[in-house]
Amino acid sequence: MSEGFSLGVFTTIVRPEEKAILAAAEARGIAVQRIDDGETTFGLDRPPGLPDVVLNRSVSHTRSLYATRFYAHYGVPTVNTAEVTELAGDKILTSLRLRARGIPTPRTVVALSPEAAIRAIEEIGYPAVLKPAVGSWGRLMAKVDNLEAAEQILEHKAALTSPVHSVIYVQEYVRKPDRDLRVFVVGDEVVAAMYRRSSDWRTNAARGATTEAAEVSPELRDLSLRAATAVGGGVLAVDLMEAPSGLVVHEVNPTPEFKALSAATGADIAGRIVDYAVAVGRR
Amino acid sequence: MTNCPECEATVLHHDKIPGEVFPCTDCGTELEVLKTDPFAVQPAPKEAEDWGE
Repeated sequence: MSEGFSLGVFTTIVRPEEKAILAAAEARGIAVQRIDDGETTFGLDRPPGLPDVVLNRSVSHTRSLYATRFYAHYGVPTVNTAEVTELAGDKILTSLRLRARGIPTPRTVVALSPEAAIRAIEEIGYPAVLKPAVGSWGRLMAKVDNLEAAEQILEHKAALTSPVHSVIYVQEYVRKPDRDLRVFVVGDEVVAAMYRRSSDWRTNAARGATTEAAEVSPELRDLSLRAATAVGGGVLAVDLMEAPSGLVVHEVNPTPEFKALSAATGADIAGRIVDYAVAVGRR
Repeated sequence: MTNCPECEATVLHHDKIPGEVFPCTDCGTELEVLKTDPFAVQPAPKEAEDWGE
């Protein structure tokens, strides 16, 4: 049934998510080309033997950005597209798009130098949350309670040589319950949702948050689909918080993990991703 | 089977596939499967600044 068709799976490492994706493709009789993002090279002309669609599972934002651009140049569709990867992989660009589409999101101020960051933090007010514009799993995030703490964090950031750390993304600290929501969107459907609960203010599953299935209310479904559509749609995990004013979207992840979500909900997320990627490849 | 490059504990193949990352059951070091025949592992790549979801 899938004769001649092949699915490219572009990876940095193979985690349980990628293993589940490979198994789901095999179960469907779909030929898979595994592409290692640290091994492959890209020329300016389309090489022979490319797959019909590439599912990007690289954990590197930089590699994802360039690879999806090259595949688009070769005429090979990717999941997600280069545009979605660029937008959703950068918190600043995501915030801009969410605001442009009228999707509730925490108050955010960006400073382009550590020197300007104090003003950004004071504009937001204490406590404020500092995040890197790129990267996730809660790494290098800081909750800043006062000016003294802000100055110390910014001093550290100024000492880091990468220009990436000179850009400071400051967000209001949302007084939420000890949990947030992760909603997994594939195409125009919500596949599964869960609460992530933690005594730490960061509720990333990668930081040891506990998880439980969440009921998808019409409001949650609508907001999640709107957020996914806002960044261009595809396979996306929308992270939301229950703010006193209602649900707010704080992140949209373009190469989401789903091991914890599958375990909490029983949803066959790997299968849904493969089916979606194949459908994109056959368009 | 092979040995952990950090602690030399025995690491079993089971159903692992090339590129798969898993922790050594003895020392917890993240290992990456280099190849399956013969089975070989190396320390997994270190998390880079732009890694994430």
